[in-house]
Order: sequence, then structure tokens, then C-alpha cells
Amino acid sequence: MRMDYIPPTRRLRVLNAIIVALIGMLVGRLWQIQVLQGAQFLRLSEENRVRDYTITAPRGVIYDRKGRPLVSNRPSFTVAILPLELIEPAKVLPHLAALIGVPIEEIRGRIEANRTRPFEPVRIRRDVGAGVVAKIEENRLDLPGVIILAEPVRHYLYGQMGAHVFGHVGEVSEAELAERRDQGYKLGDLIGKAGVERVYEPVLRGVDGRLRMEVDAFGRPLRVLQQVGAIPGRPIVLALDLSLQKAAYDGLRSSGQRSGAVVAMDPRTGEILALESMPAYDPNLFAIGITAQKWQALTTDPLRPLLNRALGAAFEPGSVFKIVTATAALEEGIVNRTSTFYAPGYFRLGRWVFGDLRAWGTVTFLQGIQNSINVVFYTLGFRLGGEKLAAYARKMGLGDKTGVDLTGEIAGTIPSPSTKLHLIGEPWYPGDAVNMSIGQGAVTVTPLQVARMISSVANGGTLLQPHVLLQAQGADRKPQPAPVVVQASGVYGAKTLAVLHEGLRAAVERGTGRATNLKQVAVAGKTGSAENPRGKPHAWFAGYAPVDAPRVAVVAFVEHGFRGGLAAAPIVRRVLEAAFPAPEASARETQP
Amino acid sequence: MSRRMLRYIDWGLVGATLGLVIGGAVVLYSATRTFPDPWGFVKARAMHAALGLAVLVVFTAVDYQALGRLWRPLLLGTIVLLAVVDVIGRTAQGAQRWIPLGPLSFQPSEVAKLVLIITFAKHLDGHREITSLRQLVPILLHAALPIALIVQQPDMGTSMVLLAILATMLFAAGTPLRAMAGLGAAAAIAAPVLWQALHDYQRRRLLVFIDPGMDPLGAGYALIQSKIAVGSGQLFGKGFLHGTQNLLHFIPEQHTDFIFTVIGEEFGFAGAVIMLALFGLWLWRAMTAAMQAKDRLGMLMAVGVLAMIAFHLFINVGMTVGLAPVTGIPLPFISHGGSALLAMLAGTGLLLNIGMRRKKILF
Repeated sequence: MRMDYIPPTRRLRVLNAIIVALIGMLVGRLWQIQVLQGAQFLRLSEENRVRDYTITAPRGVIYDRKGRPLVSNRPSFTVAILPLELIEPAKVLPHLAALIGVPIEEIRGRIEANRTRPFEPVRIRRDVGAGVVAKIEENRLDLPGVIILAEPVRHYLYGQMGAHVFGHVGEVSEAELAERRDQGYKLGDLIGKAGVERVYEPVLRGVDGRLRMEVDAFGRPLRVLQQVGAIPGRPIVLALDLSLQKAAYDGLRSSGQRSGAVVAMDPRTGEILALESMPAYDPNLFAIGITAQKWQALTTDPLRPLLNRALGAAFEPGSVFKIVTATAALEEGIVNRTSTFYAPGYFRLGRWVFGDLRAWGTVTFLQGIQNSINVVFYTLGFRLGGEKLAAYARKMGLGDKTGVDLTGEIAGTIPSPSTKLHLIGEPWYPGDAVNMSIGQGAVTVTPLQVARMISSVANGGTLLQPHVLLQAQGADRKPQPAPVVVQASGVYGAKTLAVLHEGLRAAVERGTGRATNLKQVAVAGKTGSAENPRGKPHAWFAGYAPVDAPRVAVVAFVEHGFRGGLAAAPIVRRVLEAAFPAPEASARETQP
Repeated sequence: MSRRMLRYIDWGLVGATLGLVIGGAVVLYSATRTFPDPWGFVKARAMHAALGLAVLVVFTAVDYQALGRLWRPLLLGTIVLLAVVDVIGRTAQGAQRWIPLGPLSFQPSEVAKLVLIITFAKHLDGHREITSLRQLVPILLHAALPIALIVQQPDMGTSMVLLAILATMLFAAGTPLRAMAGLGAAAAIAAPVLWQALHDYQRRRLLVFIDPGMDPLGAGYALIQSKIAVGSGQLFGKGFLHGTQNLLHFIPEQHTDFIFTVIGEEFGFAGAVIMLALFGLWLWRAMTAAMQAKDRLGMLMAVGVLAMIAFHLFINVGMTVGLAPVTGIPLPFISHGGSALLAMLAGTGLLLNIGMRRKKILF
């Protein structure tokens, strides 16, 4: 320590005085603006309001594979409430409820749900007409706190068509919000709830912009203070082909039945060219916030229009499953194309008798496929046994999710002697293998699984993951094509494939599938009529074309459609006609 | 550290500091509760405060004379850090002030304030009085290099704070008033040159301070809105969590530079005066530490820390009520920001350090 240190007391006192003076200045200034001018600033804070609006970004447009828009956006007006400016709810809310026809309890509930963000507008009703907008503007002075927002609304151009592929949007739920807080979602935002809208939500969703405006005490805009434009969501291109989709939609509806599904796939890539489920619903209802009554009607309809029957429900495959039995028998070497069978019209196993359409006499294996002769497959199924049949079914992708980029897919059931008790709760009976050989019993599959299976036959033995996306854009807005995902390859030997192709071609040329026999292209396929405990048999058809170099595989399923050849084959025909237009028709199309 | 020293801990200073940190966290909650994570800022504040208290204890325990002896490596380290931030620092609002450290990031310019107080005090301590230009030039270089690096970032607020701290320390060190006046004149001559070197937005902020009506949408907008927020608080405020200006996000950076608007609006004049009283207590205790320091080094360090807090306080509160230009200077102990809080708490530790090693004869 320096002993000669003397504190610079005088200078420190000067500093002290400066600090006291500065604090005194602050106190004086605060007194001036808070106490003397406080009332004036309070009035300014109440009157001179700034409003922050969200500029809702339009979602990405969805196109078909040829660039035709399927889902876009259209402008609309939304009636909303600014909770902080709702000074007289008792007066304003009944008035507003009467104007826009929304129950007052619902309005109150929505405001209450938004309590934590009082500066954000609470959307009360989306997509109101010009008349409502005019009425609200006229009554502006009686409706303080009510505002009109211009927002894009999702527009599904073809209504019910493709509804199960596109899915729909809805207001984000509490649970979804909790998961996505850090992604900028807020209460009242729309989010994909099903289908492509949900699976590709991160692509389709844009970035909302903000508009900061100064408004007067009546909420009239005075000037824009700050504007950050909205960034629209990125567009996506689906593998769907609008004309095939249309054919599937119309075909299902002309079947005369009420429910069913169609899947068309490119067997070379797994691209889904068309996917329809009947009955459908109009996703436009959800885009503007579905009303409680309409929601109730949709969810209580016994036909369940929201269910995507192409992948969200599993059905007995019936004779379509004979493709599995045939494959198993060929691969195991217990049969070849010329093996003969005696088909007296029934198959006896102990005290059980399994029926057939009629007595066929002595037939070859190929004729068995062509005419879907049950006894041929009973015999093979019995010789193969349940374990082998089940193993081949699984190898061909049945009873297993396909991994498609859509929501709600289920796996179905392929029972076997070792798993049936666990899966269904019943023991395996010796007759079960016989029943299974023709796709009866506890076997259930989705139409999409059948499409993947028939595609694997068509493409020479590769199981491809079906996908509806053709191309999206990455965050950098560069195109990102959907990859082709090979799930299994070499599923069939070459000899097996040759027999399958020949048999399935014969079924269309002169067997059960004649309804799909087209002049312009060689079609192969298999019908199915699946008996089920709930009513008339389900009708199936699974086919592909052209036989020598397949480009399209189609599966049609009609619930309780009775006979595959009668109810399902005409739908497939229609889709194939759209994919391979007759020469004169295509000539007409290309002429100017 | 001896038992006697512990007895000399200035509990008034400790109390004022804790009062400001705890009260600040409450205000911070009000300012940020409508953010996506309503508790995020308060949690961060709790973490920073815990860390800051540990730093405070360290700065109290290590003899400040030992710190002073380390002045060369400290100064060198700071200059290197500031240079690094210019090169690799990440950009925050168009200015490079941060160095990322894994999940954290820190602001070397905040650390620089405290380190420069220590090194400058040691440097000035080497001269019993400053009488010649030969003594003054190295001292000015010592100040100029780090300030130039901070201007480069560009961080006008911190450079101004540093300038004020160093000028105050020069004054306390006994620099002749004629020399101080000469420096002031030199600065006035240099000002037009500096003006040219300023960024557009910085010039605008200074101009708007003179005439807020000039730019009602940019910098002036913040000033008008902050005055409305503070003024509308009136005598007793609108009540905790009841501020509307705050809630509507009228005020930019309301959790950092403009946090005083939340105090003014929600707790009114009364609340603002309580806050100023806590700062007053803090500054009084700091001045006492400076007065009673056993040596010139301790006195200079105490004056530096005192000037740091006083200048921050005056500029920050001053800008929200239109008494000072809008510059990005945080309100000590209260604004969001970990590096600043750490520096302020370390400074407090330094004061406690000087206070408890004071001359015995005073007692």
C-alpha cells in the first residue's frame, strides 16, 4: 500500500454531485410525463392504437402430374374479433351473432380459447359473403372490436373427387399446437388434417406476413407502419393423372353401389396415378371451418365418407388372392402351366365340402387361372398348407402397410396356423388353408396392397412403395422429385412370372375378366368375388396393361358389388380407357 | 480473505443489487409473457443470475491488486476477443457483437467494459498525476484501440459508455482540467469526421433524438411509443401485467433496451422512483467504496464501475423518456441479456472487494 495516497475527495464530490443531478433530472422528467402529462399520454395510449395483422400466407398449390391444378386458393373474407378492443361484449356479441349467424356461445368460446393472446384477432367465421361484409362495414360504429380480414381459402377444384388423396385442412388443435410451438403456429391457424395436406404440411405451409397499422379509436386505418409480406407455401406436383382420377371417380359412381375404392399405379415406379374412395366428402367444407351439423352428418353416416377405403379399411380379397396361391404353387414347384386337375364342382376335406361355381371336368392349371376355378386352388392350398400360403402373401406385400405418403393406412390381416389365434382369437382349422387359397376366411387386405402386389407381378417381381407425390420443392425452392423406393425385389422366379402373365392375360381375353378386354391395349388381370359376413360379396378386379411392358396397374374394389367381373371390371376398363385412349378417340383429341 | 474483511462486506450494496435483479426478473416476465415461451426469458435470467452471483463471489474474493497486476494479459485478451468478434462473430440485428459458445453466445463488448476498467485503473495508477503529454498519449492509446474495435462492430452505445467511463476515470485520476478541456475540444473537432463514419441508421437515431417527429415510423416511432407507454402509467401505473402498450408489442425490444417502459407503464411514477432509489442506494455505496478505498488503484476501479452503472442508467432511462438518444444500451441488472448482467455483477463484486479491503482507520 502506498502510504502517501490521499483520496481525491474534491473530484469525487464533483462526480457525486453530477450523479445526484442526473438522477434528479430523471425523476423530474418522469414527474413531468407521468404525473403532469400522464392523463394526456393515457388518452394517447388508448386512442392512438397500432394493430398488428397477420397476413395469412396461401398454402402451396397442388398440381396433377401434367401440371393441372387440383387444389388452389381463392380470396375470402373472415369475420374476426380483436379481444382488446371488444369493450362492450354484451352489446356487440348479440349484434354480431345475428349478422353472421354464429351462435353467441360459440363466439364467446372462441374468444375465451384465445385468452392468452389478446392482441391477435380471433376468427369467428371464415369465408363470409360480400353481403355480410357490407353489413358489418355499415354497422362499424356499433361493432367496436369486430374486424374483417382478407384471407386466402383452400379451394378444392373438383369437390369430392380426390378428397381422400388431398385430405383437408382444419384449425390447429391444442395438441398439434403444443407440438409445433417453435414452428410459428398459433391458435386459429389452419393445418393439414389428413391426406396430402397433412403429410406435406411442412412444404405446403407458407410463412405468414405481418402488417402493422395505426388505426383511430373507431378502428379505421390511418397508415401502414410496417409490412412484411407473406411467403406462399411451396407447390407440389402429385403423381395423379386428372383424367385417370376422373375415370376412377365416375367409374365407381356408375357401379350402382354405394362404397368402394380404386387405385391406379405405375408399376415401374410406384407412382399412384389415381386413388378414389367412395363415398367421399367435399374438403371445401373444412376449408372454411365445417359447421357442427355437417360434421355430425359426416361422422355419423354409416358409410363413413371420411374413411379412405383404398388404404384405411381391409377387406376379404376373394379370388384376387388366387394370384398368391398360384405364385406359391409355381414357386414351390408343385404345379406348372399344363398340370391337370379334376374339378367336379366341389372339394371334399374330411366332413367339410368346399363349393365351386360349377363342375368343370378335367382342366389345366392355366384354365384354372383363366376361369378362376376354385377346386384347382383348393387343391393347391391344401397341398401348400397355411404357413406357406401366408408366407407368400406377406412376401407379396399383403397384410402389411405399404408406407404410402397418405394418412390412415392400416395393415389388414394375413392369418397363418401359428398366428391366427393371436390375430383373430380363433384356432386354425385344417380347412382354413383351403378357404384361404381363394382369399376367404380371415384374410383381409387393402385395395392399395393389392395394387402394390399386382404391380409387382406386372413389373417382373419388384415390390415398390406406392407414393402420391411426384415432385415437391425443397426449402431452397429447387425441385425435389419423389424417390422410387424398392421394398423387395426378385419376389418371383422368371418361370412363375411367365405363367402368371399368360394366365392373367387369358382371364381377360376369354375368362372371367372379359369386361376389361380392350382393342387398343392388351390387358391382363384377375377378378374376385369375396364372400363376407356383412352382405353380398365384394367385387374386385386387379389388372395391368400393356401385358408385355406394363405402364398402368389398376385395382377396383366395390363393397358388396357381388361379382368382380360385373361390378369391378367395368371400372378398371374405364380407367384403362383413360390411360390408353382408343386410336380414333386420341386422334380426335389431338386435332385442333 | 480474513474474517475482518467479511465483516466489512457492504450489505447495503448487496441488498440494492439483489433488489434490482429480483425486481428486474419480475418486470422481465411481464415484458415477455406473451412471447411463444412465456417463461423462457425468466428462466434464462435465473440461470444468468446464478452464474453472475458466482462471478460476483470470485470478484469479491480475489484481491483487486492481484487483478490489477494481470492488466497486460487482460487487455491483450480483450483486444483479441473484440477483433475475433469482428471477424467471426455472428450477426445480431445487422451488427456483429456475439461470439457463439456452443448453445450459448456471449458479447465480448460487455466483458470489455469491466476488463478495461481494471486495466485502465492500473495504467492510471502508475502515474501519481498526469502532467505531460508523454504520460497522456499511452493512456489515450490504451482507451482508443478497444473503442475503435467496438465502433467497428458497430456498437455505438457501448463505445459511448466506454468513453464516458474512461473520461470519468481520467477525471478522478487527477488529470488537469486544462488537459480534459483540450481532449473535449479535440473530440468536438473529430466529431464531423466520426459523423461520416457512422452508419445511416445511427445518424438517423441521433437526428431523431433532436426531432422525434422527423421519422415517426422508424426510430422516432420507438421514442414516441415509449413515451406514451411510460407517461400513460401515471402516478401508480396500470398494475402488474396490465400494461397495454407492452402487451400489444408497440415497443420494439421491450425486453432489452426498452424494458423501462414496462416499469413506467405498469408501476407508474411510484415504481420508477423505487427503481431509481435502488440505483441511488447502489451508486451511493459505490461512491463510498471509492472514497474509502485504501489506495489509488481501488479508488479508480470503484469510480470506473460507478461510472459504468451511472451512465447505463442515465442513458437507458433517459432515452425512453426523450432525454437521451436511442442507443442500444441495456438497463443494468434488469434488461434481458446474460453478458451484460454478468459484467454488472462482476463489477459489483469488485466494489465489495475494494470496500472490504479499505483502510482500517476509518473504523
